[in-house]
Amino acid sequence: MAATTPQVTAGAHGHAQKGMDTALMGMMLFIASEIMFFAGLFGAYFTFRGQAQVWPPQGFEVEPFPLPAILTVILVTSSFTMQYATIAIRRGDRTAMNRALAVTLLLGLIFLAGQLYDYSNLPFSIRSGVYGSLFFTMTGFHGAHVLGGAIGIFVVLSRGVSGQFSKEHHVAVEAVHWYWHFVDVVWIALFFTLYFLR
Amino acid sequence: MRRATIAWTRSLLALAVLALVVGACAEATPGNQVPNFFPAPAITDQGQASESLYAIVFWIATAIFILVEGLIIFAVFRYRRHKGDDELPAQTHGSMPFELAWTIVPFIIVVALFVLSENTQQKVDASTPNPPLTVDVTGFQWQWTFDYTAQGLSFTGQGTDGPTMVLPVGEDVHFRLHSNDVIHSFYVPGFFFKRDVVPGRTNEFDLTLDQTGTYTGQCAEFCGLGHADMRFTVQAVSPADFTAWVAKAQEAAKATPSPLPSGAQSLTLSASNTTAFDESTLTATAGQPFAVVFTNKEAAGGPPHDFAIKDPAGRSNLLFTGQPLAQAGQTVTYSVPALAAGTYTFICIVHPNMTGTLTVK
Amino acid sequence: MATTVLPRATTYSRSRVYEWLTTTDHKKIGIMYVASSYLFMCLGGLLALGIRTQLAVPNDTLIPNALYNQLFTMHGTTMIFFFVMPMLAGFANYAMPLMIGAADMAFPRINALSFWIIPVSGLLLFSGFAFGGAASAGWTSYSPLAEAKYSGIGQDLWILALLLNGMSSILGAINMLVTIFKLRAPGMTMLRLPIFVWTVLVTAVLLVFAVPVLASGLVMLFIDRNYGGSFFDPAAGGDAILWQNVFWFFGHPEVYIMILPAFGIISEVLPVFSRKPLFGYKAFVLATVSIGVLGFGVWAHHMFATGAVYLPFFSAATFLISVPTGVKMFNWVATMWRGKLRFTTSMLFAVGFLISFLIGGLDGAFAASTPVDFDITDTYWVVSHLHYVLFGGSAMAIMAGTYYWFPKMVGRMLDERLGKVHFTLMFVGLQLTFFPMHLLGLAGMPRRIAEYAPTVWQPLNVVATIGAFTIAASMLPFLWNMFTALRRPADAPDDPWDANTLEWATSSPPPPYNFERLPEVRSERPLFDLKHPELRKPATAAAVVVNPGSGH
Ligand code: HEA
Ligand code: HEA
Ligand code: CUA
Ligand SMILES: [Cu+2]
Repeated sequence: MAATTPQVTAGAHGHAQKGMDTALMGMMLFIASEIMFFAGLFGAYFTFRGQAQVWPPQGFEVEPFPLPAILTVILVTSSFTMQYATIAIRRGDRTAMNRALAVTLLLGLIFLAGQLYDYSNLPFSIRSGVYGSLFFTMTGFHGAHVLGGAIGIFVVLSRGVSGQFSKEHHVAVEAVHWYWHFVDVVWIALFFTLYFLR
Repeated sequence: MRRATIAWTRSLLALAVLALVVGACAEATPGNQVPNFFPAPAITDQGQASESLYAIVFWIATAIFILVEGLIIFAVFRYRRHKGDDELPAQTHGSMPFELAWTIVPFIIVVALFVLSENTQQKVDASTPNPPLTVDVTGFQWQWTFDYTAQGLSFTGQGTDGPTMVLPVGEDVHFRLHSNDVIHSFYVPGFFFKRDVVPGRTNEFDLTLDQTGTYTGQCAEFCGLGHADMRFTVQAVSPADFTAWVAKAQEAAKATPSPLPSGAQSLTLSASNTTAFDESTLTATAGQPFAVVFTNKEAAGGPPHDFAIKDPAGRSNLLFTGQPLAQAGQTVTYSVPALAAGTYTFICIVHPNMTGTLTVK
Repeated sequence: MATTVLPRATTYSRSRVYEWLTTTDHKKIGIMYVASSYLFMCLGGLLALGIRTQLAVPNDTLIPNALYNQLFTMHGTTMIFFFVMPMLAGFANYAMPLMIGAADMAFPRINALSFWIIPVSGLLLFSGFAFGGAASAGWTSYSPLAEAKYSGIGQDLWILALLLNGMSSILGAINMLVTIFKLRAPGMTMLRLPIFVWTVLVTAVLLVFAVPVLASGLVMLFIDRNYGGSFFDPAAGGDAILWQNVFWFFGHPEVYIMILPAFGIISEVLPVFSRKPLFGYKAFVLATVSIGVLGFGVWAHHMFATGAVYLPFFSAATFLISVPTGVKMFNWVATMWRGKLRFTTSMLFAVGFLISFLIGGLDGAFAASTPVDFDITDTYWVVSHLHYVLFGGSAMAIMAGTYYWFPKMVGRMLDERLGKVHFTLMFVGLQLTFFPMHLLGLAGMPRRIAEYAPTVWQPLNVVATIGAFTIAASMLPFLWNMFTALRRPADAPDDPWDANTLEWATSSPPPPYNFERLPEVRSERPLFDLKHPELRKPATAAAVVVNPGSGH
């Protein structure tokens, strides 16, 4: 090609453009796909609920109080502590972030333990008809996502403790924080659907 | 009139088909027609309405096809580059009027098609309040049962021919479709119609036949191993013939099978699923009638089974067919007439894939 | 100039195989996607030859029913999930970053992961044949037939393979989207993106929203089969129609996932070989987006005969989707109009695409009419439709793209004469195989039957079988062509087609980081602008120069 034509040098490309960070955008899109996954499960739930005469079926009346409600409070609180951790690192306060992450992780694990305890006390299982299948699949997959989020928190926490992340560089924290909010929002939707909307 | 249009277009297109189908001269009845751009004339009012719609869609699609393919082929020949011509053609980037034209015109066409299609669908889906005849159709792996509940008649098919459904012409017939296992589909090409047979829901529709004759039908939703064999026959007869047929069939249903001579040999056989009999071999004595005590071990609601013996000479002829079918949980004793020594294949007529060997010596 | 010579990634030598196995270069990954997809196409095609052999004779007993059912299930699944989807992902992987002037994908390692999942999940799928029978409930796996009561381990492998395959698609789609949003070269605004990139963008959005829904369905089916769930089996209180709703909510967007990038390829090839810009660029973008949006509202047209869906809505939406597709069709014809058409093999396949896809699209419009669909659904009419759009559409475009990008990918030209033999046989074979199926469908031949009785159906089935073997034969000159080309020394110029987009502004094959230098981007045809400075509008010419290159 003619050397006289205007050209942009190679160094000018390949760099991320303005706006959202690349990794963060990836996480947002991943969350979008996760939402669609849960939408599929919710779609199934509402299909059955719409067809049923009695819902939930007899013997499957799950009680929101006290345990599920307490767990909800715990998970919602953990969303706040997660937000606090993010705000802390945005300010550059890594110590505060680490502390908030540790609390978030703890709350997340308590939620999981509580849910397992709740499972063990339920009078039905995944094999007991449609309601059982729905209940355990939906809460089970949510639980798996909580676990995934907790692992993510654990990773950023270890990195934070070993001195990584700063005011400018903390994409991983931002990403995990969005994921954790997503997990929390799904739970709130589940909680209201399974325990109140009936 | 509608018929005439269809017949006319058919003969027009038969020319094109003739080029493809060599030596085909079978008579054009549904199920036995030479493949063609047009389905054989439907034998129901509803099917005829749908077929006229088909003809409209066909001609509109053909017009679009000719226009667009014509443009493509014209462009291909007219605008090919000539050797050595390196001049750049005019760099046209688009044209709003054209874009609008080829958005709006197809839009109008599809709206028209949708309206026509909706109107026809209303006709096809219309139901009569008190249909004179109701047939309950049950599809199961891999047979059909036709129940005329009000008449006390029930027919379950055999082998790959399946059962026959006799229907009167000129009257509304109400159909109810049931399945207890997987999804099937009730399809009679002559009706220009099919409806899925879905477990857990009963699909209902009305049809009005207006032409006597014998037509084939077949399961159209893939349902496993025997899907291709779920065939049946529809026989459309005059109302008078229908009444006569009902009376005769009721008479036949009352007849009892002949009893077995005392001291005859008795074999036991059972079936608990649709893939194989529980026993794959049986042995009987030659030249003597014998009994087969057959138990259907399926759970309640499961499919029926049967015991039949294939004619070793023919491909699909049966030497013996056990009547009636053993319903789920039932035990039925079949008396089999004397057989010559040899090796036979026994099968379940409901599930032709279930076979075993019967040795007679 | 900031970087004229890019440092080589490695200074020590290691085996070529190891390099390919561990590469994160989008070009190598793209090529591996394409190669693996062709392998799966041959596998899927061989299964189809089995189908066609069986159907050539009425009441044939050559292939037992149990095997026949595996053949078409695996054929459909392979062609869709392991041929067309990864193939288009491969082209997107290879060409898209080059077209937007990026150095690589946004997440190169995730990109490698997305690719390697494909052969692994393919192996899982095919391992069914070794474990007592592959999946055999159709590529749609309607339940209850796909429940444990009615089908074996092959079905579980099918579920797992598709879950993995879906994971690969989702990760790949996210990668594409972020790359398009974040890594465009200076001056490459959204409305200057090559159309192929636009179609990849919309496709990626469809993937992100549709595939997870399939995953949820697969998970429920897996729970039904293995953990005593009762989602889809009415005998256990489940709902058979629910599976269909979930599957087709994914399944219809899926068919546009398989056609939009194909549209994109055609929209690159036609302008280049007509020497004109794409007619109606903006209309094209708009049509692509509206197909993507409408595509989410038509799924139940696969369920018209179930008696369980609201017909008018889905019928209307389905009809409507013809309109934006028509816009594209007309724009393509207008692109050729008054052009100077060069009939390279790539162009021939593009024209073959136009001719065949039109037939498939019109077939679809028949099925949108509910009373007509009541007859043609689940007959060979649908088989004809789906092959005209998938073979006549997607696969023809894939061929066009292969001949178009092959020189760039490996630096060698494909032989044009062999290419024309390939095209002729494949095009004729395609029409012979799939056109008669319309008539068979109208005559009442259901799909997915291992045998048929009416002898009047035989002649056309024989024609179809001959056609199938013609298509298979066409693959031989093609494979030979690629094989011999790869053994020749590199001979392809940087820009063999006199093309328009950035991938042709670098060497063939490009260096590891793609561009030594980038032309300035001031339209969707940056390379054309570079070659035809005389056609520039003077007003903008001065204004957009970002950084006059210092030259070499
Ligand atoms: C690449 C894949 C692809 C594409 C692009 C399409 C495109 C379309 N499909 Fe197709 N379809 C499939 C793949 C695809 N399909 C598959 C795989 C199946 C079977 C699944 C299975 O059961 O296994 C299927 C099945 C299928 C059905 C269900 C049939 C049945 O089982 O009963 C229907 C019903 O409406 C349908 C409709 C359409 C329509 C209306 C379009 C439209 O998008 C087409 C639009 C294009 C045109 C119409 C041509 C160009 C337009 C013009 C020139 C403008 C003028 C035109 C008019 C005014 C009409 N398709
Ligand atoms: C892109 C998708 C795609 C493609 C390209 C094809 C290609 C072909 N299809 Fe396919 N088909 C589907 C998608 C596709 N199909 C789908 C989705 C279904 C529905 C499945 C279902 O019902 O569940 C289907 C169903 C289907 C049926 C219906 C089966 C039935 O309902 O019972 C038939 C019947 O003829 C058929 C035939 C063919 C043929 C002959 C080809 C030919 O084009 C194939 C040509 C052959 C080759 C390309 C092979 C070349 C190989 C060699 C030359 C050997 C060299 C190899 C090595 C050395 C390793 N297909
Ligand atoms: Cu029953 Cu197919
Ligand atoms: Cu569709």
